[in-house]
Amino acid sequence: MTDSPADRVARFVDDLLHGRRPRRFDASQEEVEAMTAAAGLASARVGADLPSKAALDRIHGRLAAALDESPALDRHVTRRMLLRTFGTAAAAMVIGVGLDEVATRQGKAPDQTGGGGGSTVLMPDGGAWKPVASVTQLPAGHAMTVSTGAIDAVIVNEGGSISAVSGICTHLGCRLQPDDAGKKLDCPCHQTAFGWTGKVLYYRLKAEPANLPKIPSRVNGDQIELFVV
Amino acid sequence: MGGSHIVLAVTELRLVGPPEPDDLRGAEAAVYPDWEAVYEDNVVGIYQLVFRRVGNAADAEDLAAEVLMQTLKTLRLPAPVHNVRAYLVKTARTVLADHWRRHYAAKDAAAELQQVPPDALTRPRNSAAADRAERLLSMLPGNFRRILELRFLRGYSVREAANELGVTESNARVLQFRALRKAADVGLEVLT
Repeated sequence: MTDSPADRVARFVDDLLHGRRPRRFDASQEEVEAMTAAAGLASARVGADLPSKAALDRIHGRLAAALDESPALDRHVTRRMLLRTFGTAAAAMVIGVGLDEVATRQGKAPDQTGGGGGSTVLMPDGGAWKPVASVTQLPAGHAMTVSTGAIDAVIVNEGGSISAVSGICTHLGCRLQPDDAGKKLDCPCHQTAFGWTGKVLYYRLKAEPANLPKIPSRVNGDQIELFVV
Repeated sequence: MGGSHIVLAVTELRLVGPPEPDDLRGAEAAVYPDWEAVYEDNVVGIYQLVFRRVGNAADAEDLAAEVLMQTLKTLRLPAPVHNVRAYLVKTARTVLADHWRRHYAAKDAAAELQQVPPDALTRPRNSAAADRAERLLSMLPGNFRRILELRFLRGYSVREAANELGVTESNARVLQFRALRKAADVGLEVLT
């Protein structure tokens, strides 16, 4: 019989170490303490506590579904806000959260600067959809710089999903260099890097620079188009 | 879309429920204008926070979704970043306590989980995950440390660990249980 506290906790630990959802049982306070420590140790393995993209997609999907079914929420959240929050733009951003971004975000407090909080979307007056590259030029997992004359941008293909951000560092305006392996955009001037979604990954500056503005993008036929001037 | 203007202009406290003392602090701090910002900025942090308390991806995913869902239902936006994060952490504690109560009949899990620091989403974490585990283990006496190292850092099965330590499997399980209780005792906060 495997029914002592030590056995039950051992089973719990086995489940954790094999990445399984642990079996449920009525545990004593001592067992819960031991299991809590086990959970902490299991999550201390490098990268163990980072969500997969699939997990993020499912969390996102659940929230979106709950919002759809819950008219009571309308008191707090307007329809327009819902659409904006859980529409395609948000989905694309969630998909873009990568390992690097998560790992390097921990050492700083982005809310203490005016610039670092959210990302803005660059919507130029009199903008229009302009082709900047053909789809075949930008295979999945790559980023490339493009210029429309007025705007330098970086277009990104993250697992088939195309997005674009400004290609100019928000610190002092140096032109960013895509690093496909690191899924980031490096500033050659001051050791600053941005993720593919435009978020600041790290910086060696007194104040955190702002995130890169996003640039609306779409695929039209075999062309990648940006909404630019 | 002018998001940054909103950030600077809105500083009013709009949390539902009694504010914690800290909530009153960040009057000039940044503001989340909408759910997009809250979600994008915190989903990974919330997932990590709950993962460290349950140790597996399936539960972490469910609980992270639950935390965000509950927060979504009660939080009024725009609200200062600091407040939203404090609220998310508070919600995470409740959700975690429920989880332990429901699935493991743990009556005192709520107290246990108060150890989630209120600034868990913003606090800089200086050391890598493995370093933190090693630091915790270094605080444990000999065989307690060795069994947990073998199991959690090196991925040994109970049988392999028992062989390595020269004890029976049954003894290895008992040793592991005691070592984990000791670990919970001396410094769980090291890990979180």
